[in-house]
Amino acid sequence: MTPETIEQTPVIELRHVDKHFGDLHVLKDVSLAVHAGEVVVVVGPSGSGKSTLCRTINRLEPIDGGQILIEGTPLPQEGRALAAMRAEIGMVFQSFNLFAHRTILDNVTMGPVEVLGVPRKEAERDALELLGRVGVREQAAKVPAQLSGGQQQRVAIARALAMHPKVMLFDEPTSALDPEMINEVLEVMVGLAQGGMTMVVVTHEMGFARRVGHRVVFMADGQILEEGTPEAFFTHPQTERARDFIDSIQGH
Amino acid sequence: MGFAELISQYGGRYLTALLTTWGMTAVSYLVAMALALVVTVMRVCPIKPLRVLGDGYVQVFRNIPGVSLLVLVVYSLPHLGLVLDYLTSVIVVVSLVASAFGSENFMSGINTIQVGQIEAARSLGFGFGQIMRQVVIPQALRSVVLPMTNLLIAVMLTTSLGSQVPLSPNELTGLVSTINTHTTGGIAAFAISALGYALTSVVIGWVGNRIDRRVRILR
Repeated sequence: MTPETIEQTPVIELRHVDKHFGDLHVLKDVSLAVHAGEVVVVVGPSGSGKSTLCRTINRLEPIDGGQILIEGTPLPQEGRALAAMRAEIGMVFQSFNLFAHRTILDNVTMGPVEVLGVPRKEAERDALELLGRVGVREQAAKVPAQLSGGQQQRVAIARALAMHPKVMLFDEPTSALDPEMINEVLEVMVGLAQGGMTMVVVTHEMGFARRVGHRVVFMADGQILEEGTPEAFFTHPQTERARDFIDSIQGH
Repeated sequence: MGFAELISQYGGRYLTALLTTWGMTAVSYLVAMALALVVTVMRVCPIKPLRVLGDGYVQVFRNIPGVSLLVLVVYSLPHLGLVLDYLTSVIVVVSLVASAFGSENFMSGINTIQVGQIEAARSLGFGFGQIMRQVVIPQALRSVVLPMTNLLIAVMLTTSLGSQVPLSPNELTGLVSTINTHTTGGIAAFAISALGYALTSVVIGWVGNRIDRRVRILR
């Protein structure tokens, strides 16, 4: 990424964020800025706080201290203002979380129709186009349980994209998938990244990080220990923890 | 008095009683479902006093015997200036008790929905009301068809509380009391009413099963 593409105000900015689960200090003074068009890959051992970090960005997890800004505006505490802000932030979960009682098409149109007030016809046209883009258009009339995990996750991506978000958050999007389905989901994500989408991706997929990641953020024990280009991080990690981590995911 | 005599002498009144039981059941059940839905939404809403109120409602009406509640409604409410006729009193009692159980059914239905779906809805910008209408209630409804079928049968049987107050016309159980005070119908008089309850239950159960199979959510 060239400096000119970086706008002045980051799309997402975390300033000294602190978060506890009871006695557990899961995020310790975390600061991070994500600029428009940037793909930030967050890695780290389990329990390092990377998922929590991702979930604080749209306030699925409230924070105890610090500040989170979306395009310079502090994230609202709750109510309509928060809902409106969430509508602009796409999120894809580890376990897909499609609405089990609605068709694939409905899953993608519900957000635009209910939240943005898009007319149903228009929402359906958009949805079919998005489903085509992620390669599951033929499944539009089925319900989620009839699809494979990889297909469900691609629908979940289309559902988030239907809101035309400013940024997409991916919380371990391939961790619940069978190995043969991981690539079909990663391909969609690569396409998004190459299309200029701003993305925060919590994942262990190093190939993905190397291919489209602009920056890798390494977390351990609730702190960001390293930040750098994927190449630099994976070949020359600076900290002992990062070296151990990279060894552990490459170890065989 | 044998079956033949009872039927020839009271057949028409049995039929009326059956229809009365059905009517009381239908009205009580509809009211109970509406109340149960409201109470359940209160119990899961973000406002704590409403949650406490909803939980309290269920504890109260689930744990008071129907007869006691009927005594309270018939004898105590007039002191508060609220006089209900007997039929209404019975329907109110049955509805209150059934709504508490109905709300428990809904809660178990809500618990079958993965929390991830709620988070997905929130991340799309859905508010509490939209999450309830679009995600939670439709799925909860569809997963509680069988327990709600059982509740409908229980409601029908509970309308026999109507035998404890003067109703005109009688419902099925009340009619037995009436017949047995006029003649000696004995156990046969009960048996005819029981047959009315039993056949209705069988039909309700069958329909409930059919509906459940049609609306059940694939997981």
